[in-house]
Amino acid sequence: MPDDQSFDLAGCLDRVRKRDQVAARDLVEHLHPLVIRIVRAHLPRRVPEEDLAQEIFLKMFTRIDQYKGSVPFPHWVSRIAVTTCIDQLRAQKRRPELRWADLSERETDALDAAITGENDVAPDDALAARELVQKLLDQLKPEDRLVIQSLDLEQKSVAEISALTGWNPTLVKVRAFRARRKLQRLYRELTQSEHP
Amino acid sequence: MNKYDKAWQRLAAAARRAAPERDESAPYGFSTRVAAQAFGEERRAPSAFLRLSLRAAAVACLLAVAAVAANYSAIKGAFEGEPAVAAADDPVAEVVDLGS
Repeated sequence: MPDDQSFDLAGCLDRVRKRDQVAARDLVEHLHPLVIRIVRAHLPRRVPEEDLAQEIFLKMFTRIDQYKGSVPFPHWVSRIAVTTCIDQLRAQKRRPELRWADLSERETDALDAAITGENDVAPDDALAARELVQKLLDQLKPEDRLVIQSLDLEQKSVAEISALTGWNPTLVKVRAFRARRKLQRLYRELTQSEHP
Repeated sequence: MNKYDKAWQRLAAAARRAAPERDESAPYGFSTRVAAQAFGEERRAPSAFLRLSLRAAAVACLLAVAAVAANYSAIKGAFEGEPAVAAADDPVAEVVDLGS
């Protein structure tokens, strides 16, 4: 497969439109890193990442004649990926309310350290922190989750998220605000459930 | 930024540190499978020729069944071996009988 610099995307798209299967394979291999990053970041529970990536690529091929070139092709594909992930997240049942008793010992340590702020989360607890973050994100609406995850975990800018999703920057900021408020409420409920 | 926002930022920073390094290239055979499936779905819609061929095959089957039904007694006789009936109906045998 050609590397990113030498990959002739326009030529490849032309050949794909003419139903050239080799070009289709090259296109999938070229775009796989972009798609799999989005899938891994927004993967619903119990959905294999390969299945979701495949669904995204099949949608891309189905709609490829609708691509008019108004945005770069990778952005167009990333929007398909994002909407597919959001649809999957919507389809899954929301986790039941998160309670202190649901957390592992390491997760409670990580949460304590984060709330008291006396120490940074210990390196040993980083994995637990990641799992705890995923549990908290699972409590958010899919769109809000996507925004907060992109901002705070992937450290993307509002402009980047806007390009990725097609949402205008104001909407991205509103969703981030809403997600942070919900996270605050979750923290409060969690700490209250520790000391009822 | 209140204490909960700060707590979230600390947790997010820790989660970023734990992000696993994973291969992002397509697994072996993935692109071939996806490309075949993408173009294979288009072929699934039957062409006019295929539709007509299927109808022709159905009509041919019906005609074959009708032909078997119409000649059922003759076919049955041939399989059960009724030489008398067969000889009686045989014009050559009749001519031979007349000559003798």
